[in-house]
Amino acid sequence: MTIKALTLYEIQLTSHQPYHMSDGKTADSLPSLILKIDTDDGLTGWGELCPLPHYLASYPSGVLPALENMAPVLIGADPVGPEALMSKLNMHLLGHVYVKSIIDIALWDITAKAANLPLYRLLGGLQQEEMPLYHSITCVAPEEMAAIAKESYKSGIRQFQVKLGADQNWEADVARMRLVREAVGQGPLVYGDWNNGSTTLDAIRTARMISDMDVMLEQPCPTIEECATVKNSTGLPMKLDEAAYDMASLMQGYQAGCMDAVAIKLSKFGGISACRQARDFCAYIGSKMCIEDTWGSDVTTTAALHLGATTRARNLLNVCDLSGYVSPRLDEAGPTRKDGKIKIPHKPGIGITPNPDILGQPIASF
Amino acid sequence: MKISAITVFQIDLPLTEPYYLSGGRLKFELLDSTFVRIDTDEGLSGWGEACPWGHTYLPAHGPGVRAGIETLAPVLIGADPLALDALNRLMDVTLPGHPYVKSAIDMACWDILGQQAGLPLWKLFGGDEASAVAVNSSISTGTAEEMISLIQKASSKGYRTHSAKIGGTDIAQDIERIEAISAALPSDEYVTFDVNRAWLPATAIQVLNSVSARDWVEQPCQTLGECAHVASRVSQPIMLDECMHDFSDHLQAWKIAACEGVKVKPNRLGGLTKAKQIRDFGVSVGWQMHIEDLGGSALADTAAIHLAASTPDANRLASWLCHYHLSVDPVPGQGARNMDGFATPPSTPGLGVIPDEALLGASIATYC
Repeated sequence: MTIKALTLYEIQLTSHQPYHMSDGKTADSLPSLILKIDTDDGLTGWGELCPLPHYLASYPSGVLPALENMAPVLIGADPVGPEALMSKLNMHLLGHVYVKSIIDIALWDITAKAANLPLYRLLGGLQQEEMPLYHSITCVAPEEMAAIAKESYKSGIRQFQVKLGADQNWEADVARMRLVREAVGQGPLVYGDWNNGSTTLDAIRTARMISDMDVMLEQPCPTIEECATVKNSTGLPMKLDEAAYDMASLMQGYQAGCMDAVAIKLSKFGGISACRQARDFCAYIGSKMCIEDTWGSDVTTTAALHLGATTRARNLLNVCDLSGYVSPRLDEAGPTRKDGKIKIPHKPGIGITPNPDILGQPIASF
Repeated sequence: MKISAITVFQIDLPLTEPYYLSGGRLKFELLDSTFVRIDTDEGLSGWGEACPWGHTYLPAHGPGVRAGIETLAPVLIGADPLALDALNRLMDVTLPGHPYVKSAIDMACWDILGQQAGLPLWKLFGGDEASAVAVNSSISTGTAEEMISLIQKASSKGYRTHSAKIGGTDIAQDIERIEAISAALPSDEYVTFDVNRAWLPATAIQVLNSVSARDWVEQPCQTLGECAHVASRVSQPIMLDECMHDFSDHLQAWKIAACEGVKVKPNRLGGLTKAKQIRDFGVSVGWQMHIEDLGGSALADTAAIHLAASTPDANRLASWLCHYHLSVDPVPGQGARNMDGFATPPSTPGLGVIPDEALLGASIATYC
């Protein structure tokens, strides 16, 4: 089997609710790129990438030139067994892992369809069919966030990510954590996420004021060293996200002892192949994983669910139903949340067929 | 002062001879360069260039430079080109990563700052004189005999420092090449053995502990961690290049004693502003540095020579000039050129190089 054509589409994803992170970063309406890979024997694979602005080294306009650069390697290549082809691409264009992610997802879709198996069977086998979701609470007034948490609790959610730092007011961040913790009662997981927008001083002051509570911290500052300093000054568990993006940084996070949990995102690492390697390492060192992508609709959401479903429950922190945060849905039959959980589909491949009416006309094809 | 327009040019820079990186695994024949002219509301214009070394050497490629500039342009228009730190923060927030995109913009704004101040860049970078910077040759990989012959050819053009590309899977050949090249070198000439990441740590340790040469060895392995492991086990001074992307990497390298020197390349690091910060750090921790750009015409070379010339002699090793490998010259005769093995930065205000727009062809985009 060989790759015959690459077709790139762009759709606009609108958030149901405005979403605010530290430093005024938002995600109201974003372009998502959808890649279709066609093969000579009729199989089609789908990939997706939706960069969050100001978040990682990934942006929509960077995709087309990089894809154009890699197209000659892809066209005519065998898509089955993605790691071999991905290592060729990694030699051909260094870096630009976000562009590799969209390709890698589509290659896994084809590989699993060629095997006539759901993707999770090729990623180590099903560990659980149903996975816990978390609710990411946009950074607004503390009382409002507590109300959102309460609503979300009623819907079955038991993990709450509290976005901090949007107003650069560490005392308001303390209130956010306290009110959300109280709103959901004892038991559920509550963690405060600065999206690396804080300083060690502000983060330590905040964390010390809440260190009597059962809470976790997430990525207060840009570097692993700073995150380790914050953790060591407060004793609270720490999740890494932005600073953990490849094997070297995962090893560094492990060495620094500040990676009780970590976010494994498809486009941050470079797709399913790279995330699977990261997943196996994190499982070994006992770091709990949130397995998801930065943003997007059904293709990337479901692709990440397959990796989540093959991760042992003790290592899986949570997954995310990104496609439920935005519209339109690429595939109305894509997985949806129920009682704070989401189930993996059992169709061959990733199990998502994008609606052609929503894709519209391609922006490029090779 | 405000940025009023950004005009982008694309130019192919053919190499006079194909260039093979260490191990012969990578061949280069043509570089894809992007020139940028930034105009301001006060009439000053500055020039910048970003020229990645192909797409297989670092995470950078020519079309990516232009896509990135298109994304940055809306926030750059109206920004103050003289406030370089603020401008860099703005670029980093707008487009995280992608340092190779930002170096062209940063360079053009330094050019404007210099012209506005009436000072050459070497002075704005802290230099007390337009020091003549030793230039080094770049010796493509081959057999010991072939490489020695290339070194002798370079010597005749005034080069006294040579960067010899070695590193392959044949340990015996690497040992032989290092010993032969080091032994053939006259006493007033220097060589750096540039491995370009070709060795695994064990290979590096086997080779380097088998040779008597004590010349610099550059980027023996892929990662910073691997290089640090090698540095702790061998006697040669270690220089790092491709694994260094930002200030944090340099801090980390110093913390784990991974090297005695680094290459400071503006396009790899995101521009002159970030390169200067790293140069200053290198001076303060006693590193020796090769300061040069990743690739490009005499425009990019000259910008790097300004930074090199303003660096204390003790911390400065030789600089490589990419434009000597090119068959075209879009900035005819201008800027820092090799004169008997040395290059001196211009002392006119700013960068001191103004491309001939007729040689650049039609612009491919203007943002205003």
